Amino acid sequence: MEQKFDIKEGLQFEGSSFSPTRETIWEFCEASLDYNPLHWDDKYMESNFGKTNFGGIIMHGMSNFSLITRMMTDWALPLGGTHRRLETRWKSPVKPGDTITPTGVVKMVKKTEKANWVVVAVTVKNQEDKLVAEGEAMVEFLDS
Amino acid sequence: MEYKYDTDFWAGNTARKIWDDIVPGAPRETIPYTLTQDSIYKLCKATGDMNPLYIDEEYAKTTKWGGIIAPPSIHVLLMFSCTPNDDWMRSPGTINAGQSWSYNVPARPGDVITLQARALDKFIKGNRLFAVHDNVFFNQNDEVICSGRGWTIRPM
Repeated sequence: MEQKFDIKEGLQFEGSSFSPTRETIWEFCEASLDYNPLHWDDKYMESNFGKTNFGGIIMHGMSNFSLITRMMTDWALPLGGTHRRLETRWKSPVKPGDTITPTGVVKMVKKTEKANWVVVAVTVKNQEDKLVAEGEAMVEFLDS
Repeated sequence: MEYKYDTDFWAGNTARKIWDDIVPGAPRETIPYTLTQDSIYKLCKATGDMNPLYIDEEYAKTTKWGGIIAPPSIHVLLMFSCTPNDDWMRSPGTINAGQSWSYNVPARPGDVITLQARALDKFIKGNRLFAVHDNVFFNQNDEVICSGRGWTIRPM
């Protein structure tokens, strides 16, 4: 299906929200094989990590990463684009009971010899509008 | 040789490299892994990403990929599937500070996936010990699936 490329800087879009629970975090342990006790061991999470105490188990950062890649594909694919890159920094831990929502804003459109590349600024916020992750994604729209 | 995945990350922890022993540039041992449709489904379900492209073969056949593909974030599973129990990414208390990944061809069910991995860098910042892991996943046709690196805070 051929589509005319028409994406401008400043365009915003939102991804699906996700509400982790202890059960979904454990499910992610099993699906990703990442059984780090940060994600399931209450006793272990009573301890301090340097100056930080998380006050309980935390969701995998890569669960958040998956939520962002999902948003990028859900947005790009129907427009004829392919999600090609994601870079993230985790700003604040996500815990059971939180609800997180990713948002993208088109920062730049760069025409190369073979494609249009769209650079998207990504943020993920929790139910209190607190920033939990930020980063940058790239989507490729190949010339037809 | 049959490889047994140990879900207890404390077991064998003393065999894992601590920050002091991580050598930037040194390769990490890796293991080939055959991706299954079931593994893809489990990861999609755990992240709530039920795009039919990843789970519905009949639908996926009608797309340009001609069959089910894995979501880009499949490297989350591949990272642990393609490394042995003594890989330092499993050290309990390893904190993920951020990652960057580039995607090339999608992974598919039945792919035999190999990993080339190393510690790329280590540094001290804000009184914390950081190590950077660097990874490239290939399919059985030597095509790059994805490449990425991650910044980890090491347990002390």
